[in-house]
Amino acid sequence: MNLSINGRPVAADVAGSTTLLELLRDSLALTGTKRACDRGECGACTVLIDNRPIYSCLTLANACDGRSVRTIEGLGAPGAPHALQSAFVAEDAAQCGFCTPGQLMAAAALLVENADPSDAEVVAAMSGNLCRCGTYPKIVRAVRRAAAMLREQGNG
Amino acid sequence: MADAPKSTGRFISTNVEVEGRTETRIVEVPLFEPVPWGPDAQLTHVGARAVRTDGALKAGGHPGYTTDVRRPGQAYSAFVRATVPRGRITAIDVAAARALPGVLDVMVAADAPARARLFNTEITYTGQPIAAVCAITQRVADAAAKLVRAQVESLPFAVTVEQALDSVPVRPKIENNFVGGKPLVLERGDVAAALAAAEVTVTREVRTPCALHSAMEPHCAVAEWEGDRLTIWESTQGIYRVRDNVAKALGIPLTNVRVICEAMGGGFGAKNFAGAHTYVAALFAKRLGRAVACVVDREGEQVDTGNRPSSWQRITLGATRDGRLTAIDLEARIPIGVGGAEGGPGGIYHDLYACPNVRTVEKSAFVNTAAMSAFRAPGHAEGSVGLEVAMNALAHALGIDPLELRVRNIATRDQKKNRPYTGNRLAECYEEGARRIGWSERAATKAAAIKANARNAAGSRGEHLKRGYGVAAQVWSTGGGPPCYCNIRFNNDGTADVMAGSQDLGTGTRTILAQVAAEALGHTLDGVRAVIGDTASAPYAGNSWGSMTVASLAPAVRMAAEDARRSLLEAAAGMLGVAPGDLETRDGRVVVRDTDRSMSFAEVTAKLGNVMIQGQGSRGPNPQDAGIVTTGAQFAEVEVDTETGVVRVVRIVAVHDAGRIVNPTLAESQLEGGIIQGLGFALFEERRLDARFGLPLNVGLHDYKIPTHADMPVIDGHFLDGADPKANHVGVRGIAEPAIIPTAPAIVGAVADALGVEVNELPLTPWRVLGALRGD
Repeated sequence: MNLSINGRPVAADVAGSTTLLELLRDSLALTGTKRACDRGECGACTVLIDNRPIYSCLTLANACDGRSVRTIEGLGAPGAPHALQSAFVAEDAAQCGFCTPGQLMAAAALLVENADPSDAEVVAAMSGNLCRCGTYPKIVRAVRRAAAMLREQGNG
Repeated sequence: MADAPKSTGRFISTNVEVEGRTETRIVEVPLFEPVPWGPDAQLTHVGARAVRTDGALKAGGHPGYTTDVRRPGQAYSAFVRATVPRGRITAIDVAAARALPGVLDVMVAADAPARARLFNTEITYTGQPIAAVCAITQRVADAAAKLVRAQVESLPFAVTVEQALDSVPVRPKIENNFVGGKPLVLERGDVAAALAAAEVTVTREVRTPCALHSAMEPHCAVAEWEGDRLTIWESTQGIYRVRDNVAKALGIPLTNVRVICEAMGGGFGAKNFAGAHTYVAALFAKRLGRAVACVVDREGEQVDTGNRPSSWQRITLGATRDGRLTAIDLEARIPIGVGGAEGGPGGIYHDLYACPNVRTVEKSAFVNTAAMSAFRAPGHAEGSVGLEVAMNALAHALGIDPLELRVRNIATRDQKKNRPYTGNRLAECYEEGARRIGWSERAATKAAAIKANARNAAGSRGEHLKRGYGVAAQVWSTGGGPPCYCNIRFNNDGTADVMAGSQDLGTGTRTILAQVAAEALGHTLDGVRAVIGDTASAPYAGNSWGSMTVASLAPAVRMAAEDARRSLLEAAAGMLGVAPGDLETRDGRVVVRDTDRSMSFAEVTAKLGNVMIQGQGSRGPNPQDAGIVTTGAQFAEVEVDTETGVVRVVRIVAVHDAGRIVNPTLAESQLEGGIIQGLGFALFEERRLDARFGLPLNVGLHDYKIPTHADMPVIDGHFLDGADPKANHVGVRGIAEPAIIPTAPAIVGAVADALGVEVNELPLTPWRVLGALRGD
């Protein structure tokens, strides 16, 4: 099986039952994607496949053959964080930080679709991402702040 | 502002309040106490909205969580759990598990050292670990765990208080099922006489649910031995406590155990001790001679890592006709599980309102469910629901506004210990909160909302949406206290390491410690780094529980910084040819007062080479003649759909008096987090149990509902400006638990206000709301 992860080609030979989450965390040591429930209930393991958000714990690795996977490690570049990452830091949108990678990837998918989401649109797009610390209000603010930053960059 | 050391008797006995309990401890009195930073102190870093120092790491997928630790050759383990609530294992067959390719080891009760209290042939609750499997991958370990077969002789069980009080002991080593052998009765004054004489009385019954912590990172540990020395990575609220627990359980010297917690994914009270997962990892690692991880799976996390026990409360209040409380009477029943002990719901009944006659009778019972553990404001979060429901009933009976009734009964003194508070501005909290929510205009706001809804729904169906307002208050001991230490060392490029044996649960401890140290050193914030989460590198600090961390640590950090700063000034004085008293520090520079002559910390320390500037700080005792509490009031605005029974929280206003706020952004994050957990407690969260079989039914995050984005109200969280220099010399108190206490009762009050009917069984699910409307 061949796939692209964060823009790099990866050849993987995994068992049929291996999930994408296991491939990322256990085979490739990409531990930025978190395993919180492993049963499709919390969204912490959200990554992008061809720019769409999916729960990697419910996705078989072999189903990603030929696809393009993006994880938190590929959201920004070293020294050049994505606007969403900068906005999450500025708005204090992470407390314990364990759900944060999943929140960020869900938000990234939203901003691909919608460059100027309203509060209600952010909430609708991200309600599958649970946070027990209760950072939701700051996450919504951070996503909208990032959207504004990206629109400004786009216009500039 | 370096203060001359004054000598004191070094070791004294003092009282410290932990989670509502008072403990007597020996305390080391610090060699000097800095002059308190009062409300008017001119501070640069303390009070600033500094960005969380590990925020960027977290936004990049922080690799430092225990679940992310990957040691060379690391193996993985999984638990086998009991499927009945009470029984005795007569045989256990692990052959099939051992035979599975990739399995490395299996442990049952007979394999574990007795003092580790790991596994037991006596089953006392569904979900109890009875064996564990270790394998080369998590997947193989999980599969092998399912192959273990136990023969179990089932025994009678009890899962409710009523069953338990009528039953033989539900577990070994107890005489009866009352926790402590009998009901806990606490009384001041004479409640029976006061109720008999009261001009008005009201009685209510309230039920609160069993709630699960549901931290996103499950309980987990990774263990690795090097000879007879053990390193444990653990997702914990107390690295030092885990170290002590593990050394004792394994019978090894404390110096041979190192506990590391670099980042952790939430605790909320459930991660205060080493657990079965810790011992399993350590023992497998020893038996196999390789690193072993034990990560509890989500079902195990929800079933067996602690909970806030449910409660039934019957409350009777007595009052004068003008609304002065004369008696408070509580009877409560709490099924706590097979173990665990934290404050019950009675605590807040003694504290929150001024009342000369208070009696609480708590019937806490052991039952055959998983042990409880502390969960954010244990006892107070449940007790405040009962107390505030009764206060609302009293307001209704007297025809007094619910806010006015509360203002008339503010407790201005610590009634349990008959002493003043160091500070308590609850009256201002009520006033400011009422202003922000528009309390006095709420009748008009409700009418306008009904009108607007009617328009939105084309005129026909608007009146099914009812709006209501509620208010509730909070008190919680937040003084922190000793023992607690901090060491500071300057590196010879001028940067400073602030070392404390604490941990950051997501509250921002790292950031707060850096801010306090930078302030006292006169450093820049990025010139200071907090080094925490490792027992090998830092002196003792207590668990991050009881809203104690900042109030315990900040004074020790400040003292260590003052100590280091004094040495730095002495060294710089020689270099600048002046007396130390002529020098001050700011922005990472030593400045000769009233001149433009200065040296940077980097220049001073570079000249010193490897002569190291260090400082030591410790936390002194709290004042014994005054209580230290955080108080606050929260107001809820809700909209209830009387056709579907759905409650939507529109807005929460929260105003608290927590002394000096070191970082308003982080404090607001804590406050919002507590409010959101309180909202879940009020509306969604309930561990359901099948009482016939003793089985927990909703053990994942799909069926056990915690709040998500879509459930969010507008949250207006606010702290009164101020400092509490009587509490400690930084002027700080705690925040984390006060935040959750008033939220649920404010929402419950708002729903009753909206409907004109009380719903006093939480959570307020649609069917309970509809049932109450039908008069069920």
